[in-house]
Amino acid sequence: MGTTEKIREIAAGLLREGKVDVVIGYGPGTLPLRSTPLFARTVEEAERLIWDATCGNNLAVYLPGRKDRVGIVVKGCDSRAVVQLIHENQIAREQVFVIGVPCAGIIDGRQVEAAVEREIRAAREEGPELVVEGDGWSRRFNREEVLYGACRVCRHNNPVLYDALAGEPLPSRDGGPTLVEVWEKKPAEERRDFILSEMARCIRCYACRNACPMCYCTECFVDCSTPRWLGRATDAGENLFFQIGRVLHLAGRCVACGACSRACPMHIELGLLLGKMNKDVLELFGHEAGLNPEEPPALNAFRPDDPETFLLGK
Amino acid sequence: MKNPYLPLPMRIEKITVETEDRSLRTFSLSFLNKADAEAFGFVPGQFAEVHVFGQGEAPFGIASSPLVKDRVEFTVNRIPGGIVTTALHNAREGDIVGLRGPLGNGYPVQEFEGKDVVIIGGGFAFTTLRSLTWYILANRERFGKLTVLYGAREPGLLLYKDELAAWQKRDDLELILTVDRGREGWQGKVGVVPAVLKEAAPSAANAYAVVCGPPIMIRFTLPVLQELGFPPERVIMSLEMRMKCGLGMCGRCNIGHKYVCKDGPVFTLAELSELPAEY
Amino acid sequence: MTINAIIVKKERVNDFLNALRAGYRLYAPVAGQAGPVFAPVNGGTGWPWPAGNTLKSAKEVFLPQTEVLFTYRTSPDGVQVEEARVEGRGVLLGVRPCDARSLTMLDKVFAGEGVRDPYYTARRENTVVLGLACNEPGGTCFCTSLGGSPFGTAGCDLLWVDLGDRYLVRVLTERGKALVEGRPEFGPAGDADLAAARELEEGALGRLGTVPVQGVKERLDRLFTDPLWDRVYEKCLGCGTCTYLCPTCHCFDLTDEVVDGVGVRLRTWDACMYPLFTLHASGHNPRPTQKERFRQRIMHKFKYFVDNFRETACVGCGRCVRYCPVNIDIRSVLAQISAGEGGSAQ
Repeated sequence: MGTTEKIREIAAGLLREGKVDVVIGYGPGTLPLRSTPLFARTVEEAERLIWDATCGNNLAVYLPGRKDRVGIVVKGCDSRAVVQLIHENQIAREQVFVIGVPCAGIIDGRQVEAAVEREIRAAREEGPELVVEGDGWSRRFNREEVLYGACRVCRHNNPVLYDALAGEPLPSRDGGPTLVEVWEKKPAEERRDFILSEMARCIRCYACRNACPMCYCTECFVDCSTPRWLGRATDAGENLFFQIGRVLHLAGRCVACGACSRACPMHIELGLLLGKMNKDVLELFGHEAGLNPEEPPALNAFRPDDPETFLLGK
Repeated sequence: MKNPYLPLPMRIEKITVETEDRSLRTFSLSFLNKADAEAFGFVPGQFAEVHVFGQGEAPFGIASSPLVKDRVEFTVNRIPGGIVTTALHNAREGDIVGLRGPLGNGYPVQEFEGKDVVIIGGGFAFTTLRSLTWYILANRERFGKLTVLYGAREPGLLLYKDELAAWQKRDDLELILTVDRGREGWQGKVGVVPAVLKEAAPSAANAYAVVCGPPIMIRFTLPVLQELGFPPERVIMSLEMRMKCGLGMCGRCNIGHKYVCKDGPVFTLAELSELPAEY
Repeated sequence: MTINAIIVKKERVNDFLNALRAGYRLYAPVAGQAGPVFAPVNGGTGWPWPAGNTLKSAKEVFLPQTEVLFTYRTSPDGVQVEEARVEGRGVLLGVRPCDARSLTMLDKVFAGEGVRDPYYTARRENTVVLGLACNEPGGTCFCTSLGGSPFGTAGCDLLWVDLGDRYLVRVLTERGKALVEGRPEFGPAGDADLAAARELEEGALGRLGTVPVQGVKERLDRLFTDPLWDRVYEKCLGCGTCTYLCPTCHCFDLTDEVVDGVGVRLRTWDACMYPLFTLHASGHNPRPTQKERFRQRIMHKFKYFVDNFRETACVGCGRCVRYCPVNIDIRSVLAQISAGEGGSAQ
């Protein structure tokens, strides 16, 4: 049985037996190379659930604050978000039935569009290939060529938490330098100029923040008026303040799912700042968010050998 | 073209602490420019955006009488965490602020002429009703019987106490004061505004009711007015909304297709019934 | 006005634009990391214009996302207010008919019969709009369903049609005529040019998808409390992407900042999608959840704006469809409303 069928079967069963009030999964999108979140509340609706390489949204974003019982379809990165949300008491373990899906990587539609330089009207996966079509043209890609950069080097593509697995576990990837490793080697001025030019493009739509499962604050620091931490002007300086604030608030919590950078309509390289933050947390505290349902978040726990360079100089 | 975003420069001439808990202050502002004072005319019920320079702007109903030409008054409740209200409460007499106004539509005073007017206010929503009362008193012969019913949670929270005392002595209006919770020395009624209204039972024949107060008071007052026979076209209400431009452009204060800053803040109950219940 | 269609060969376009630069600031679609956006052209002419539509709409040329309205300095004696001035004449180049048409809708809000916004109005008065017809509408375009057209002229002073090696230029207003009259780059359009343009127009119209919007306004008049809203909002993240990219969305915020001792009154875009948008000081929020806020978006564009201005505040540009992070498709929402269906799962 394929993954899609398995997901439908599990979801239909959960709904039929009244074990959950809703199953949050993916349904077919209205655009090529896009799927869309689907909230299935009946067995009929569950029949529309799908799984393919366009299922990029992190559905855990819909969990914080829920009072109902939820079935949720998660990839490896998404499952880490569920673990982290449970750690942070934003959802109870008993509330969620986690339908885990081992993920072979998500196709980056923007890369494909950039490669064909024309409007894509239809797309489909054929085995290891992606076929895209437009007005009077068609082109094939090796799927691996057009995955998100983060997916290509993903080490956590199998769900770390699940109540049912909808596919066979997949080998993890470990190849190639990450974007952060590439940029760390560049001189400071180049990094600064790049980040400022990225920040100049930000339109403060907060798609990044709102797509992130870990950004669930009822009052975000950008909306606080007393004290007013930052202004509303969309210049590079203010935008940088917002992004850095968000990155710092995600320290030890970001699960590197990429939802933020996929949501950003201005294609800002958000993975760079967040990836660097995650790398620092790993080096300083030996911790990655959401991997271990038993282990508390890095910045919520204290070990005697934690580095305290700002206090003790070591 | 006149720039509707530019504030008129004003000076805070007098600050009166209205309530015992000091949460409400009345600011009496004068115009720095004589020409502005001469050009400024408003109808009771209109509001203005008060600009605390360097902090922000907020809308307040105009509390002074339109016949007072050189002063504009606002009564401001200090909201914890509010930039403008906190700044105003920290201001001193002599400080300079900005004013944009008058804005909004005001009470339909022309329609009230020849009719009885029943003014019903609760808490610190009484500000524009004070303006309306003064307006009617200054043009007394144009209007019928004037009844003012004003309630607060406790005596210390009533606004404009000196004026209320003066109004009590007049024979050209009936003033009924009430508090939810009385105390020793309190001479007025004890009871919530809707209950006191029911007891007073003003005649709805040839009368308008003007209601302004917290949502809970409105909720229980409207049925009483209906029972008394006030038709929805003659129940006048003044609404609040979060506002910024005050001009119907920034898009945020709408109820359905109406903007509270431009088509309101005064609406009849009949008009409101046609709009989505989203306020 | 006698001329109404002329021709300019592509090899002469830069000559024309360079001549314009002497008297006008040029705004054109400039390629960017995520897509073309309108920007002042510094050096060069900004031509050729990119295929397809811009990422951000043309509204930011007239209603900038961040705008200083005035500055001020206070003293014990008073306050000195300095109004920001909108200076200079401009030409907006390569704007698609949907965006040009959206300007006529923004005009109703900012430059209507009552109080006018001096900043927006000055920019509109100072800027000539040079539209570019869409020979190849995109897959998410649906302008004709909303009364627009890929060759529409609403809001344009000139409409340029790409005929391959030349443009047909429709001269629509006195202001547009003033730009081109007597210019050596332009010559009369012949029957063949007009026929070529017509054929392209028919082709473009044939490619456009349609969205059933019949009766949407009338249905929305009665649908405020319908259970449809309980489902249709569920995916919505409540970000501002649709609002900020939309050519007809115009909501804004006003704030004060102090920069180096000078007070600044700032106008910045805002969105009804955010929880703070309607939050009262008392803590009461008339739109407490995303359901009410999503409903407001649809109601405003397809009912309230119609109630106030007899026009639908949507030009069918498709940006919200393309860029919504969760693929909420307004075409599907409209189809559901038009067909009288309740909310669906996606």
